[in-house]
Amino acid sequence: MANVQKIDNFNGFQKTLDAVCLTPLGFFGLALLAVLPFIPPFNQEYLIRWMVVGLFMAAQAVAFDFTGGYINIVNFGFAAFVGLGAYTSGILAARLGLSPWFGMFVGVLPAALVGFLTGVLTLRLRGIFAAVMAWFISLAFWGLATKLVFLTEGPLGLNCPTLLQTSSNLPYFYIIFAMFMVTYIVLRRIVRSHMGLAFKAIGQNMEAARTSGINPTRYRIINFTLSCAFAGWLGGFYAHYYGILMPDVMHTAKTIEVLVVVYIGGRASLWGGAFAAIPFVFAMEMVRSVFSQYPGLNLIFYGLFLILIMIYYPGGAAQLYQSLIERLKNPFFLRLVNGVISAPAQKKIQASGLS
Amino acid sequence: MFMAIANSNTLNLERVLTTLKSPAGITISASIIAAVLGAIDNGFYVIVNAIVTGGMWALVAMGLALVFGVMNVVSFVHGEFFMIGGLTAYFTFTPFSDYLMGNPNPLFEAVLPILAMVASVAAGVVVGILCELIVFRPLRNRTREQWVMNSFVITLGLSTFIVNSSQFILGTDFRGIVSYWNYPTLSFFDVYVSFDRFFVFILAMLILSAFWLFMRSSKFGRAIRAVSQDETGARMVGININGIQTLTLALSSALAALAGACLLFMYPAYPTVGLGPLYNSWFIVILAGMGNVAGAAVGAFIVALLQVLTTVYFGEGWEYTVPAACIILVLIIRPSGIFGSEVRGILNQ
Repeated sequence: MANVQKIDNFNGFQKTLDAVCLTPLGFFGLALLAVLPFIPPFNQEYLIRWMVVGLFMAAQAVAFDFTGGYINIVNFGFAAFVGLGAYTSGILAARLGLSPWFGMFVGVLPAALVGFLTGVLTLRLRGIFAAVMAWFISLAFWGLATKLVFLTEGPLGLNCPTLLQTSSNLPYFYIIFAMFMVTYIVLRRIVRSHMGLAFKAIGQNMEAARTSGINPTRYRIINFTLSCAFAGWLGGFYAHYYGILMPDVMHTAKTIEVLVVVYIGGRASLWGGAFAAIPFVFAMEMVRSVFSQYPGLNLIFYGLFLILIMIYYPGGAAQLYQSLIERLKNPFFLRLVNGVISAPAQKKIQASGLS
Repeated sequence: MFMAIANSNTLNLERVLTTLKSPAGITISASIIAAVLGAIDNGFYVIVNAIVTGGMWALVAMGLALVFGVMNVVSFVHGEFFMIGGLTAYFTFTPFSDYLMGNPNPLFEAVLPILAMVASVAAGVVVGILCELIVFRPLRNRTREQWVMNSFVITLGLSTFIVNSSQFILGTDFRGIVSYWNYPTLSFFDVYVSFDRFFVFILAMLILSAFWLFMRSSKFGRAIRAVSQDETGARMVGININGIQTLTLALSSALAALAGACLLFMYPAYPTVGLGPLYNSWFIVILAGMGNVAGAAVGAFIVALLQVLTTVYFGEGWEYTVPAACIILVLIIRPSGIFGSEVRGILNQ
């Protein structure tokens, strides 16, 4: 990658791209996505709805991968943290009339707090304790949401006011698009920082990380809490987009959906899961509508995908992309996929053996 | 620990006290007291229910602990073996049972449930071997890096696949039976226990003893213990690691399938029936100490008691919330589990 420009002479566009952690290719992809709701086959209401679901999934995948991919702890109760944010915001809006726009941010608090407590409790132990404990907690909250009928209406569903008084999906598309971008940029910038380096070290070799003076428990708790906080925030969107909340938002099946997307997209890349989310949601919605007489068929595919990916291509789409761009020779394409600053940074990372 | 009690005829009071003060001693004494209090308050059936279900949870949880100890797999597909066992028993039992309605035959009537259980054990063995050959072995051959998390995720995939395939093929109907044997109810001290429950309890005790003997003295049992202690060392002394891993998974899925068959009259088989047993056995395994097989057997009874008491005092629907609170306590006080290092399990003797 000799033809990459020097770090100190890049223009404003490149600086901006660097600040938001995008390669030019990623930027053009996102720009295309932003105008996609106006391009003919995609400008139908139900397809925009699928895209909203896809972007919601993408944002969740980024938050999930932040823990699962970097510190190598599968948060198997992820849906509960989404649900916790959703229920907090939904209950505040429905019972106390708090504005959903504000409630979404209040929903961060319980999710982050429960995530923090789970982390304090389990992250000093082997990673698998945190996974199993998060699962226990998700089932406990699922039980609570079903049982505390006076607060949550139980399985009948809690009616939450929606964010906007419109039946169109287009505004929601841009809201979740912005939320996805915020999630991605914040988490990517953390991953790129010194703290992110510590996360990677912990995920790859705990003993080596400890020897280099990293306190694994502390970093793991920070990571876990952050991921849960974002999950809670996104949950607020879920509550005020669908307008109805049922305990099944916390169900393990929801966690598995996110997990499958992240593993197909590729762990420890952040963008991989986000990239896989929209095509995945489209494919699954098609399966669901074509084979509507067989409910649950899409879940069989989830299981199959997960097994196949884990055995035969554990790097997912991110690994495929990486192996493709390594073959590129043309300087234009090279700049397109590497950006300007990320290439030396990548080089540095490659030299230090962390990628 | 039990040795200490046995040797106390020398009036070594101090040792008994130490045993009682250990976490295991405290938990066991506390659960015995809780059982007695619950029985006084609600009748003796509390203890009977706890013991009958506890025996079966012991089988499921031991399999889980064994898989974790030997294969280092955090299995989330264990509940599905339970479901497969229940389904196999149902499809073996009901056709013949319907046939027996027309032409009664006391001998066949007595043997049929046992045949159903044997069939489900066979199904469990087959499914266990298939899972090992199709899923775990290719993964193990490809990468040993981050094995625990990877195998954990792959069991999630397996579980999703099996649950939804079963739903796809068989639908969401509940497939249960009223009872295996139409024998009169037995009564002990004014408590009525159906013959099914009595038989299931006896069977669980028999299997537990047989399993203990198998692990302790058979060639395969010793090999399994060796692999769980030190895989490299076991390979060096000429143990076939792949064979042992297959045997372990087959054994554990057979135990879970047997439990599914035995509890068919309490837990009718339907696609997601495995969630409850899976949750229980994870609860038991964390409570007892991960990978501690003997501890899992004891912990099963404690957990069964806790659940019976939860249902009695809190009502239905709290069976996930109360145990989660207990697990939080265990993790705060003693993350290695109550039997963690005290009782040297079957695996570590």
